[in-house]
Amino acid sequence: MNALLREARFLAKDRGAVLWIVLALLLSAAATGFGIAEVREQRQTIAALLAEDAKDRANAISKHDAWGDAAYDAFHLTYAPPSDFAFAALGQRDTAPWLHRVRMLSLESQIHEADTANADFGLIGRFDFAFLAAAVAPLLLILLLHDLRAGERVAGRHDWLVASAGTPRRLWLPRAGVRFGGLALALLVPFWIGAAIEGAGFGAALAASALVVGSLAAWWAIIAVVGRRNASPPALLAALVGIWLMLALLIPAAARAGIEAAVPVPDGAEILMLQRDAVNDAWDKPKAATMTPFLARHPEWRALGTVEKPFEWKWYYAFQQVGDQQAEPIVTAYRQGRLARDRAAGWAALLSPAALTERGLERLAGTDTRAMIAYEDRVRAFHARLRAFHYPLFFRDPPYDPVVLDGLPRYDPAP
Amino acid sequence: MTPTLEARSLVVMRDGAAVLNDVSFAIAPGEVFALLGGNGAGKSTTLLTFLGFLQPTAGDVLVAGRSVGDDVEAARAKIAYLPEAASLYGHLNAYENLGYFLDLAGRKVSRAALDAALDQVALPTEARQRRMQSYSKGMRQKTAIALALLRDTPILLLDEPTSGLDPVAIDEFHAMVQALAAAGRTVLMVTHDVYGACQVADRVGLLRGGRLVGSFAASDAGGRIDTETVHAAFAAREAA
Amino acid sequence: MSAMWRIAREEWRLWARSRVVLLAGLIIAVLIVVTSVLTALRVTAEAERRADRQASAEATFFAQPDRHPHRMVHYGHYAFRTPPPLAAFDPGVDAVTGQSIFLEGHRQNTAMFADTRAGADLGGCAALTPANIYQLLLPLLLIVIGHGVVLRERESGTLAVLLAQGQSGRAIAGGKALALAGIAGVFLLPLAGLALFTAARAEASQASAAAALVAGYGLYLAVWCALVLAVSLWVRQRSVALGLLVLIWLLVALIVPRVAINTASAMIDAPGKIESDLVMLSQQRKLGDGHNAADPAFDALQKQVLEQYEAQSVEELPINWRGVVAGYSEQKLTAMMNAFAEDRMRREASQSRIVTWFGLASPTLAIGAASRTLAGTDLATHHRFLRESEGLRFDFVQGLNDLHAKALTYADDAARSTDSAAEQRTRVNAASWRLLDAFRFAPDPAEVRAARALLPLMVLLGWLVVLGGAIGAGARRLRP
Repeated sequence: MNALLREARFLAKDRGAVLWIVLALLLSAAATGFGIAEVREQRQTIAALLAEDAKDRANAISKHDAWGDAAYDAFHLTYAPPSDFAFAALGQRDTAPWLHRVRMLSLESQIHEADTANADFGLIGRFDFAFLAAAVAPLLLILLLHDLRAGERVAGRHDWLVASAGTPRRLWLPRAGVRFGGLALALLVPFWIGAAIEGAGFGAALAASALVVGSLAAWWAIIAVVGRRNASPPALLAALVGIWLMLALLIPAAARAGIEAAVPVPDGAEILMLQRDAVNDAWDKPKAATMTPFLARHPEWRALGTVEKPFEWKWYYAFQQVGDQQAEPIVTAYRQGRLARDRAAGWAALLSPAALTERGLERLAGTDTRAMIAYEDRVRAFHARLRAFHYPLFFRDPPYDPVVLDGLPRYDPAP
Repeated sequence: MTPTLEARSLVVMRDGAAVLNDVSFAIAPGEVFALLGGNGAGKSTTLLTFLGFLQPTAGDVLVAGRSVGDDVEAARAKIAYLPEAASLYGHLNAYENLGYFLDLAGRKVSRAALDAALDQVALPTEARQRRMQSYSKGMRQKTAIALALLRDTPILLLDEPTSGLDPVAIDEFHAMVQALAAAGRTVLMVTHDVYGACQVADRVGLLRGGRLVGSFAASDAGGRIDTETVHAAFAAREAA
Repeated sequence: MSAMWRIAREEWRLWARSRVVLLAGLIIAVLIVVTSVLTALRVTAEAERRADRQASAEATFFAQPDRHPHRMVHYGHYAFRTPPPLAAFDPGVDAVTGQSIFLEGHRQNTAMFADTRAGADLGGCAALTPANIYQLLLPLLLIVIGHGVVLRERESGTLAVLLAQGQSGRAIAGGKALALAGIAGVFLLPLAGLALFTAARAEASQASAAAALVAGYGLYLAVWCALVLAVSLWVRQRSVALGLLVLIWLLVALIVPRVAINTASAMIDAPGKIESDLVMLSQQRKLGDGHNAADPAFDALQKQVLEQYEAQSVEELPINWRGVVAGYSEQKLTAMMNAFAEDRMRREASQSRIVTWFGLASPTLAIGAASRTLAGTDLATHHRFLRESEGLRFDFVQGLNDLHAKALTYADDAARSTDSAAEQRTRVNAASWRLLDAFRFAPDPAEVRAARALLPLMVLLGWLVVLGGAIGAGARRLRP
């Protein structure tokens, strides 16, 4: 304790080191502030859209007098609200959609709709806490710790200091520890304040803090091993920056390219083309070509499954579903492929503390690939509920009564 | 009586070459021993071996009768070390530097005691609050000597302690070393200053090429080692 | 001049004998070559695949059987954004934006299936393209090699010797600048080769864009050389200089660009497509449903058309009233959709302009903007793709609506849901599908791209001038 106090006083006089720590504090405050602002904006968007969505749906339904028309025009908002931890890691929310308005038509023609922001955003990326902790903080730690020993060696103080302290551990451990702690606190305090403001769960905040401190500790170990070498401070810094480049940039990039080559994902455009051709060809095919595969999936409607007129709503929506059914194998492969890539990325991230930290924070924030696929799954489940609600109306065709539509399924964003 | 510092047939190899070769000496409590030698004679290596930074390849070094290798920490705790061209932290003032190093050694010292030690080395009062990057070489050396005094250890290892000091300060320093020895401290200093060594030491050892090639005791010479004799020996050996 | 040359040669000899410099240079060189080859192969394959897809989408459209024209409106078509040749160097927004758009009646879809959505997520800066290596890694290499150009001489005392011999500070700084510029020049060679290669394979207009691209990166690397030299001149200690330069790199290459994104997103609210679609839809409901010719929203149109043809009712019209309504409402709707789309694109463009102005704080942002623009992979090019594909969509949809109005009778059209014979008569001969235009997306001409890249290039030039001033001042006051 005494030693920590001594080194803390010593650190306070070291303007260079204080500069790095203050910089970390400012960057963390900025990252947290930006993150909270973005998350709030997304929540406001969702709230505004929810109100607008209900109004629009009521308006659409009010104009019709048949179940099929009403279903055709009624959109339903689905959304993945940002978690109370999303401010720290916006992750995939900049590239994957978190809003979809779906209706009773073929789902595959709707769910791949991209609602991404400005493409430059996705390209350059946001400055969020996850990026700061994963990529920037290690570099700050390197700047802070690389010349701990070498600097004293150059100044001719190394042996003197160690002789005074008795053992090296009594000197370097508190000295590096105070700097490490200073940097960690500078990063985490704004984050904790942000977490408190956002009401993030204590467990998530604790896990994130542990992740950040743990990955920084791994970097500390690397710096300690390299910093022991009897080389000049610039040579050590250059070597450490090289290692950082390797671990934070090159290995993730190479792993990504490798994974994408090794784990194929079907071309998404195929899904759309397949589905579109299936839906459009149905108009020209005999009705049985639609109703047979549909009834195979829904035997409960077999008794009511004959189509007599050139156009009937039940047939129209049946071929929408059959279109989805035809695309199913490739849709499954697309989903599995993405999950497999994500799993592989999870393993590859073990090679890079930076990737591991960023992925870990995205996982905690619910902004990782799995969370975005889970959102897609929820949209699919909701769409299935919509169909389950409408099919009795199309097949039994009771007299139109808009009151029944008050019972339309409501999307529940909770996982 | 157990010698405070002792080297027994000490051999230290660095990069395949013997820097110290079969060096033996013993220094009694209260004795001032000066190791005299030219560049690369192995002077600093001797000090670093006593401090446990270098391990003997053969032989042994002992502090207070105990091998340094057995407990480096205990050995270092007994020693105040003054390195050659000691550089303290430039961004701290004299008080802060002394406070930091003493804290590191586990000693708490009052401000009055700091001032007393700085008075003893005659560091001007108005300089003590200034950052040390503005100090002259002599002022830095004085502060470092004050630090060695403040450590209050039974043993002092001094590496070229008078370099950078003006002649008056050197005389004052030598008086101080003798006073410390009189009070029971053991002093091992290494230097290439023949005159200074003869003036202050009870015994002078002549180190050359890693071997102890000569020894001159004040007691043998009637209380004072003759500078001319030592100088002649030093010059002769250097020339050889 | 000969003194400068001598100093530069001495520096090169030193680097050539340093294992660290050689190793670092070699690693970067290998990275440039490997990523260039991989990216070029990938982009070329992708360009061919998309061109094939575009052609096959057209063939599929033509091959559709006889049907009701409105069915073809919903059958729709695809537009593919083929990457321009220089995308092999800088793929730009290609990975982030979707590569294809489904074009159909009454809707403007978004470009779907961006690569990043199916990509393996390994964190923030996990994409390696030749452009990224030039923008991020080469500056780091210049820093590691060059931070000591002057400081090494200062710390070893040779600076005093040089100055005492009568070398001016200017000559020393000039020689060191020459030495750094030589390194930067060597590393520009792969880019020049790549540019030459693409220019040779593409039409002539690409050549000037490729030349401008090489010049732009030359300017960028010159800025970094100047920065490294300025710091080496002004700072007194080598370790401080390196720390400072690494910090500047961190800020300029990683932090400022992302902060620029955050700022642009906070300053200008650009609603997403789904958000603006919802607002649009409620407005659209007021326009009337083009599928329902009896919608009261079309009363005024009906009156006007009846007067024009001197008819009493829609049944008496020589043309199909349903087709007229479809064409009319598509036109109205498209005008509205375009207004919304233009608004969205305008907001995005202003966001990107804010990001570009951040180039004043980060040359990396400036070169990024210039590079994407010159390569034809910037946001503006994507926007042009969206506009052109919308034009394609509107043309074929209106062509089909015209068929709908002229080739079908109203009576048949009205009865087709219930009368199979009438339904057969509403089917139009498949030869009519040829009305679809061929679509091949090409980037802007080189002059247009160069004009767009002028602002960021000027920003880079400004950086160079300011740093040149700092070097000049530092050289004049150079003391041992």
